[in-house]
Amino acid sequence: MSGMRGLSVFISDIRNCQNKEAERLRVDKELGNIRTCFKNDKGLTPYKKKKYVWKMLYIHMLGYDVDFGHMEAVSLISAPKYPEKQVGYIVTSCLLNENHDFLRLAINAVRNDIIGRNETYQCLALTLVGNIGGREFAESKNPDVVNADGWADRMAQLLDERDLGVLTSSMSLLVSLVSNDYEGYSSCLPKCVKILERLARNQDVPQEYTYYGIPSPWLQVKTMRALQYFPTIEDPSTRRSLFEVLQRILMGTDVVKNVNKNNASHAVLFEALSLVMHLNAEKEMMSQCVALLGKFISVPELELCVLFVVDHLLVGHNDAFPATLQENMTRMLMITDAQDIIKKHQPQIITSLKDPDISIRRRALDLLYGMCDVSNAKGIVEELLQYLSTAEFSMREELSLKAAILAEKFAPDLSWYVDVILQLIDNAGDFVSDDIWFRVVQFVTNNEDLQPYAASKVREYMDKIAIHETMVKVSAYILGEYGHLLARRPGCSARELFGILHEKLPTVSSPTIPLLLSTYAKLLMHAQPPDIELQKQIWNVFKKYESSIDVEIQQRAVEYFELSKKGAALMDVLAEMPKFPERQSSLIKKVEDVEDTADQSAIKLRPQQLPSNALVLADPQPVNGTPPPLKVPSISGIKVGISSNWLDHESASQTQSQPNGDLSKAQSQIPSADLLGEMVDSLAIEAPAVDMGSHQRVYREEDGIPDEVDGTAIVPIGDQANKVEPIGNITERFNALCLKDSGVLYEDPYIQIGVKAEWRGHHGRLVLFLGNKVTSPLTSVQALILPPAHLKLELSLVPDTIPPRAQVQCPLEVMNIRPSRDVAVLDFSYKFGTSMVSAKLRLPAVLNKFLQPLQLTSEEFFPQWRSLSGPPLKLQEVVRGVRPLSLPEMENLFNSFRVTICPGLDPNPNNLVASTTFYSENTRPMLCLARIETDPADRTQLRLTVASGDSTLTFELKEFIKEQLIAIPMGSRALVPAVPVPAAPLAQPPSPAVDANDPGAMLAGLL
Amino acid sequence: MPVAASAIYFLNLRGDVLINRTYRDDVGGNMVDAFRTHIMQTKELGNCPVRQIGGCSFVYMRISNVYIVIVVSSNANVACAFKFVVEAVALFKSYFGGAFDEDAIRNNFVLIYELLDEIMDFGYPQNLSPEILKLYITQEGVRSPFSSKPKDKPVPNATLQVTGAVGWRREGLSYKKNEVFLDIVESVNLLMSSKGNVLRCDVTGKVLMKCFLSGMPDLKLGLNDKIGLEKESEMKSRPAKSGKTIELDDVTFHQCVNLTRFNSEKTVSFVPPDGEFELMKYRITEGVNLPFRVLPTINELGRTRMEVNVKVKSVFGAKMFALGVVVKIPVPKQTAKTNFQVTTGRAKYNPSIDCLVWKIRKFPGQTESTLSAEIELISTMGEKKSWTRPPIQMEFQVNLLLLLTLLNRSRLLKVIVSLTISASCYFQVPMFTASGLRVRFLKVWEKSGYNTVEWVRYITKAGSYEIRC
Repeated sequence: MSGMRGLSVFISDIRNCQNKEAERLRVDKELGNIRTCFKNDKGLTPYKKKKYVWKMLYIHMLGYDVDFGHMEAVSLISAPKYPEKQVGYIVTSCLLNENHDFLRLAINAVRNDIIGRNETYQCLALTLVGNIGGREFAESKNPDVVNADGWADRMAQLLDERDLGVLTSSMSLLVSLVSNDYEGYSSCLPKCVKILERLARNQDVPQEYTYYGIPSPWLQVKTMRALQYFPTIEDPSTRRSLFEVLQRILMGTDVVKNVNKNNASHAVLFEALSLVMHLNAEKEMMSQCVALLGKFISVPELELCVLFVVDHLLVGHNDAFPATLQENMTRMLMITDAQDIIKKHQPQIITSLKDPDISIRRRALDLLYGMCDVSNAKGIVEELLQYLSTAEFSMREELSLKAAILAEKFAPDLSWYVDVILQLIDNAGDFVSDDIWFRVVQFVTNNEDLQPYAASKVREYMDKIAIHETMVKVSAYILGEYGHLLARRPGCSARELFGILHEKLPTVSSPTIPLLLSTYAKLLMHAQPPDIELQKQIWNVFKKYESSIDVEIQQRAVEYFELSKKGAALMDVLAEMPKFPERQSSLIKKVEDVEDTADQSAIKLRPQQLPSNALVLADPQPVNGTPPPLKVPSISGIKVGISSNWLDHESASQTQSQPNGDLSKAQSQIPSADLLGEMVDSLAIEAPAVDMGSHQRVYREEDGIPDEVDGTAIVPIGDQANKVEPIGNITERFNALCLKDSGVLYEDPYIQIGVKAEWRGHHGRLVLFLGNKVTSPLTSVQALILPPAHLKLELSLVPDTIPPRAQVQCPLEVMNIRPSRDVAVLDFSYKFGTSMVSAKLRLPAVLNKFLQPLQLTSEEFFPQWRSLSGPPLKLQEVVRGVRPLSLPEMENLFNSFRVTICPGLDPNPNNLVASTTFYSENTRPMLCLARIETDPADRTQLRLTVASGDSTLTFELKEFIKEQLIAIPMGSRALVPAVPVPAAPLAQPPSPAVDANDPGAMLAGLL
Repeated sequence: MPVAASAIYFLNLRGDVLINRTYRDDVGGNMVDAFRTHIMQTKELGNCPVRQIGGCSFVYMRISNVYIVIVVSSNANVACAFKFVVEAVALFKSYFGGAFDEDAIRNNFVLIYELLDEIMDFGYPQNLSPEILKLYITQEGVRSPFSSKPKDKPVPNATLQVTGAVGWRREGLSYKKNEVFLDIVESVNLLMSSKGNVLRCDVTGKVLMKCFLSGMPDLKLGLNDKIGLEKESEMKSRPAKSGKTIELDDVTFHQCVNLTRFNSEKTVSFVPPDGEFELMKYRITEGVNLPFRVLPTINELGRTRMEVNVKVKSVFGAKMFALGVVVKIPVPKQTAKTNFQVTTGRAKYNPSIDCLVWKIRKFPGQTESTLSAEIELISTMGEKKSWTRPPIQMEFQVNLLLLLTLLNRSRLLKVIVSLTISASCYFQVPMFTASGLRVRFLKVWEKSGYNTVEWVRYITKAGSYEIRC
């Protein structure tokens, strides 16, 4: 590279750039220059080419797009001289990836180098293949490059090698091999242990491979890493000697002055620690580890941080030291004994929350979260709350979530929990997700003793000048429900509560307003004795929002206003909320998700032979032994089936239902007591956990409380949990399948139904492919065919269960008896988990499938045309409202449903003449002729004449063509997909009773 | 008075804080980190000048290589905040003598802190006028050696000054030679379709003044704007003179202009501050004379070749000329080779802005010149995106300088004798400016009745002058 002045000038120019912008300008200028040179007609000297390609590489490394010049780079590979070849290889492997077409150009040159005699070139070529070699390379190089099967023996042989350089690289290979699959490589295990022994115990290493007195730390680390991919070590002698080595490493490491030595020895140490952890070694060793870790964490953090950033460069370890350290500690929490030891270090961990390095802070947070139990929960949560006010934004949400979970899990008493959450909302309102306050509301609702306390607490918060919107939500909810419990206290009468809440109304966003309206309604109801003044004020508010642009607000305002006029009826409707069914905290679920995405350390990438952090965190029982002193059994991990997806369905359906919210209907229905009763019944169906007997209520605050039925949107949402939305438009899929023979008929999140069809004369064979898309089986699979009269259908047996990720084929024989446009319907249902999903699907066995294309000449056509004269064999109709199509488009359309256009038969270019053969059992092959006369001035109308030897056929075919011309692709026959049969919406006008056995009626419903 | 800022930060391009000043304690000290991580290091920088993060609003703008960030947590007046920043920068510039950049800030820490203390109080903007501030913040900035030497300062009487009726002008100024410089600076914004239809066209103009006048002079400015002329003819009860009148939109005045007189008499009369200031700003949307016509033809011949032909016609007076004309013709990113032929000026391909840059130093009126270029493109690996053809951009400046007094000296003297009004002048030269606006008179009245020399300069510049191709 020496002597390329232009290149070094360019690089120094770039380095001298003051800012990004100047750099970009310089790079663009250089790119322009390179383009000019590459485009030069006279061609480039090899020197110049080399120089510019280096420049390209440098620009690429700086992060700019280089989307030209690949040709030049690739051509350098076949250059004779080393410097050019080198740059060619390097740049090609940097700029291209294995899918680039340009790489094909290089294959031959690379191959020549590999089989050539020059060792250096071979190395270059192999490096390239190693970096970007893809399938195509493999294909063209086989057998130049060795096959990877059955390497275990060779690997074992390689590990016997004495030379440490070879050993290091073969160990890399071993690590990557066993990370995919450790089976078959067990013969390598003892060898690895031997190597470790040799390095750590015997120190039998040539001088040049020791680094600050440590025998080849790189190899040690790699060997231990490889060992971690094997599940356990069976052989007792190997195990013993390995432990001996590990013991030696653990004991022999200490903090010294020399930075590099520290880095190397600690790298080895930590790898050894993870290995110990992995092997689940004896107790003694484990406690030794903890003691060691404790020793390190108490060393001044800052110093160690600096040291171990270098460490991370040295051995390619992915975490800075303290982070690894703390991760190890987190992992150790699994071992009950270790916990006490770790707890001793709590103050240090809390201090490292303030560490400048974010990864350390994050780990410290995880660790605190993991080590929390009843005894220290109060301290830790308070610490976290304090930290929350200074933490940076990216961590605040996670932090608040974790604080909330800890408070919930380990609360010594419930009032403390309420205190903590309210404080949390007050401190970091922006970062408190809805789940957190949903949860506190659930708690308060479920614990009667807590209600007055919570109400008085939120009342205190309401006195603050500026409070967060989430706090307004919580307060509004709790005061609405339980405000009356405070009525005797000073400043807590209904009117005063209304006053302070109403002050906040102008400051909140529109999703909160409905909640406030509900609260007002409840306050009004609870005001005893009735307060006329308050009623007036609240009615004014309702009146004001009656014309709100937000449907939700408007609807509530109208409904509450009407309801509040009812007096006593109001009491029933607005009674206190029932207790919530117990379930797993959605918070914990959420934190698990966070863990999964946030945690990407290298250690995580190893096969999860170790239980991950997330598992430890999710299940606190083994950690603290005693059940948490909550009266609520929720955290003991009971999962209510519908809990997790419920919220989503709820919110989705809520948004869907709102636009339909018919106000007049809603109003008219409210007073009807019967309807109310019915609605309550329907609610009871879907929420069995709610004790409906003692409370009769329709109105619930659905905003926010996740397990509520959308009460105000009067139309009860039947069985939300069952509803599975199909993917894609079923009608469109059907229409597409009418014109082609294979494709997807139906798809939803769990199942995909594909169709493949073959048609021969009046026979057809359809194969339904039922594919299970999820990892759990689909049960109670049923498929019923509702055949129309003109088709004979035979469906082979459909299995009751579709195994996970499996596909089942169900052949279906079709025979056409006579022409008809009716469609066969497949009634398909299955059960996923507890929910029943059913769909009614039209099968694409339609009239045109029994047509056979036929091209006629004029000599054949006209005699036939003339012989079929007049109705009923020849029918003519003027069709209006046709979708405007150009003639070629129309020709395509006809050809696509197998009615062949015969060009040149009609002298008028605006007319089309078509012919086809129809097959059915009754008619046998039957010639059909058609003529379409279009009006060039008005494309929306045409005259259609159809003739055939059978009057029904003529009529049906004419109707069919007409349908196609008008309907496609609008799909005027919109299909009602998957109407859930049970618990049909009560408040809707009764839908036409669908008798599943009557295909005609079914079709009437469908079309 | 609205709150404008809770804190102000000056950051360099890397995001290091150069100087900061906290005016209210409702924002935390680490908010600027949020700005750095959430705005500066993302691509959203420059998209939106106001961003909200974590309950704080960040109002920011970039001046040369410095970001000035205002942080507010309450419901602040954003326009006020921006105006404050602009004025503060002008103030700093007048102290440092020209440049405002990272180096200037580093060299003037003490001065800037002193000024920041003075120009804002608890988040409320205070007096930002350089003339006044220089009375009591006498510390000199570190000037670059090339800027002009500061003049001697008279002894200040700050209190009286700030609280007086004419807060912007000091009593007792005296100059040997009384001079007024008036610049009408207009920038033409144009967007023209490739077929030559004007899609958008307007002129934003400002009247800049520099006064070196003794005593407390009262000035009156007459323009050929519609309202003013109509009012004048109404008052003098004679029909309005024929000739072009201009309709001004969105006029804003410097605080020295007497608005009550403007409302009643529609004349611009004012006691000017000493030195340089911006008297008024306006906008004109109708009847704009375009100084240049551009006729581009760009042909893409296949994938790797292009032909560009651009003809530029000047349509202003033949005796005038435009200076520094630059035409930027966009070309695709993968341009490799270019071949030019130009009738005047010089052209070059500039790869860093992906444009052919055609420069003509002096462009006389009523002439035309053309550029024709052949362009070769290199083939690329990236997905084939068709070239979006950004518009051609143009820069230019047309100047005209007049010495009002010399035009009509004899008549002027008569006027002085008879009316003791110091100066007035009428002149008519068509098409000085893009809008056609011109100064009809500028009267200076002072008790002592001295003579003044008035200079008027018309400058028409290109704003965003774009022609689609």
